[in-house]
Amino acid sequence: MQLTLNPLARSNPHSRQWSTFVRNNASILLIYGIIILVVGSAAILNENFRTPSNLLNIMRQSIILGLIAIGQSVVILTGGIDMSVAMVARIVGLVVATVFAAQQSNPALILPLILLGLLIGTLLGSFTGILITQTHANPFIITFGIASILRGVNLAISSTPIRGIPKPYLEIYEAKIGIIPVNVIVMALIWIAAYLFTMRTRTGRGLYAVGGSERVARLSAIRYNRTLVLAYIFSAFCAAIAGLFLLARTGVGDPSAAEGMDFQSIVAVALGGISLYGGKGSIVGTLGGVLLLASLSNVFNLLQVNIYYQQLFLGLIVLITVAAYKSPRSA
Amino acid sequence: MTTQSIAPKSAFSRFSSFRPSPQLVRGVDLAGQWAAPIMIVVVLIIAALYAPAFFLPTNLKTVAIQIAVLGIVAIGQTMVLLVRSIDLSVSAVLALGAVIVVQTEAGNPLWISIIQAFAVAGVIGLANGFLITKRQVPPFVATYGMLVFVQGARLAYTKGQASGTVPEILRAISFEQVGPVPAALIVWLIVNIIFIFFLLRTRYGRWIYAVGGNPSAARYAGIRVDAVVIGVHAVCSMLAMLGGLLLSGYIGYVDLRLGADYNLNSIAAAIVGGTTFTGGRGNLFGTAAGVALLIMLLNLVVVLGLPIHWQYAMQGIVLVMATALQGFRQFLLSR
Repeated sequence: MQLTLNPLARSNPHSRQWSTFVRNNASILLIYGIIILVVGSAAILNENFRTPSNLLNIMRQSIILGLIAIGQSVVILTGGIDMSVAMVARIVGLVVATVFAAQQSNPALILPLILLGLLIGTLLGSFTGILITQTHANPFIITFGIASILRGVNLAISSTPIRGIPKPYLEIYEAKIGIIPVNVIVMALIWIAAYLFTMRTRTGRGLYAVGGSERVARLSAIRYNRTLVLAYIFSAFCAAIAGLFLLARTGVGDPSAAEGMDFQSIVAVALGGISLYGGKGSIVGTLGGVLLLASLSNVFNLLQVNIYYQQLFLGLIVLITVAAYKSPRSA
Repeated sequence: MTTQSIAPKSAFSRFSSFRPSPQLVRGVDLAGQWAAPIMIVVVLIIAALYAPAFFLPTNLKTVAIQIAVLGIVAIGQTMVLLVRSIDLSVSAVLALGAVIVVQTEAGNPLWISIIQAFAVAGVIGLANGFLITKRQVPPFVATYGMLVFVQGARLAYTKGQASGTVPEILRAISFEQVGPVPAALIVWLIVNIIFIFFLLRTRYGRWIYAVGGNPSAARYAGIRVDAVVIGVHAVCSMLAMLGGLLLSGYIGYVDLRLGADYNLNSIAAAIVGGTTFTGGRGNLFGTAAGVALLIMLLNLVVVLGLPIHWQYAMQGIVLVMATALQGFRQFLLSR
């Protein structure tokens, strides 16, 4: 793990390796330090927290936010933002549930419908990406508007929970290999793939270049529009996977699914130290942000803190975090 | 509103040899400026043909009051957009105002709770401005965080249950009429006139345009850029508070979801009216037209008897199309 988090750290003389490493990865070290602090003190103070099943629960609860946040990280690295992820996850779940309900929950449809869900995500992502690159509009406002459209469409699909999801589909969420749930494995694989993608491939490094400076990226012969569209497709694709898992978890097509996930994913990205102006940061930090949010919400639930105070606290964390990381606007 | 069809793929990349013809630039510029008034006429004609119920006096009064509330919020949002910022905390401030005034009304005189409400709004606006200028947080993140924080604070305070009665004077402003015109609409007109004068005729108003047009040039010209941005955010929050007071008078009780759509709608109204999110371009006449257009469209959804959730889709479509148009216009003008 050491010295691979940031490629810049490797080019320094050996005597100053350690301090350079700390300086380059300060936000990542900070976030994992806070996680160890929170989880450690909770484990010491609360005996319900330190049971293995609860720790596994935290992992499982974090996968939906984790999947959405990884897509969000990629978009934010390019200097954009995607406010429509929660609604993409919701529409995928609702469409799949509707088709299941219409087909008498036929188990043979599981694979085609999963593919359909992923296709919906990809199409929505490419629509957003093309709209943003071709009109040069502000990504925040465009995706905000698309989220509102999708919210209306979702309510048009159904305003009550949809029943009739086949049993085998529900087992996706419960299935385990050994003691590790399958969905945790899926998330881990996607995280590793995304990490390698952003760090090791040319397109992945292009994401950073695009976020750093549009002008420099274009002059370096990086396909600006294509990279940007790709980021939005990836984000919507991850949201679609999250929607499919969410459907397996709740067991009904829930018209209020994934509410607030768009904001929470941005919080996780910000906590992980990715610059909200784009071009700086690492996906490893976002994973830390997700785990921190999941363990905090678990601790709050164990302590039976009122949901409204939880929201108050979440807002406070965000304001403190974004105020603490002073990231100068790139010129 | 059909910028999509104009734009051939990849011909518009910034370093290609593409040069838009002057006619195209002027056309898109005019379309961006006049989209709202033209659409209002179109919508009125459609309403006359398909939904005559739109023109019933009771419905027109509803429309007028909604225009007044959204209009006041959108004035603040326009000014925030003019300085290249954005305020997503308006809906929380709006709802908070109702809670403060209604729930403290039992013990205190009304004017004290109103002063309290505006003071709280001012502090929220100052905090937004401080985060954006001094800590350089992206505006939408700072104000969205503020939204979650203020909403959490309000719900923790009320425990999610609405209670209390709305003061008489607020009900009167929202329901009384002066001649044929609802009082709320007159409040909106007065606020509009004040801020149009402020933006066009005072030094501070011109500073706002200068800061939005080019922050570094404004700084070299001796304008205190940070102070302008912070001040604009404070004014925006206070206008949102005023909108909240009018709305609580109109709705009559304090709803949990009171004002939840005002973020999106106020931004949409400003952008439809010709304000660009890159700052320095736009005015309050356009915003007023955008507000009227948006409220009429949302009202038509109800009058035509469509399910209410099509309002969400309607808001989103207006916002996306307007943003695409303004983004394209800004892009052409900046070449």
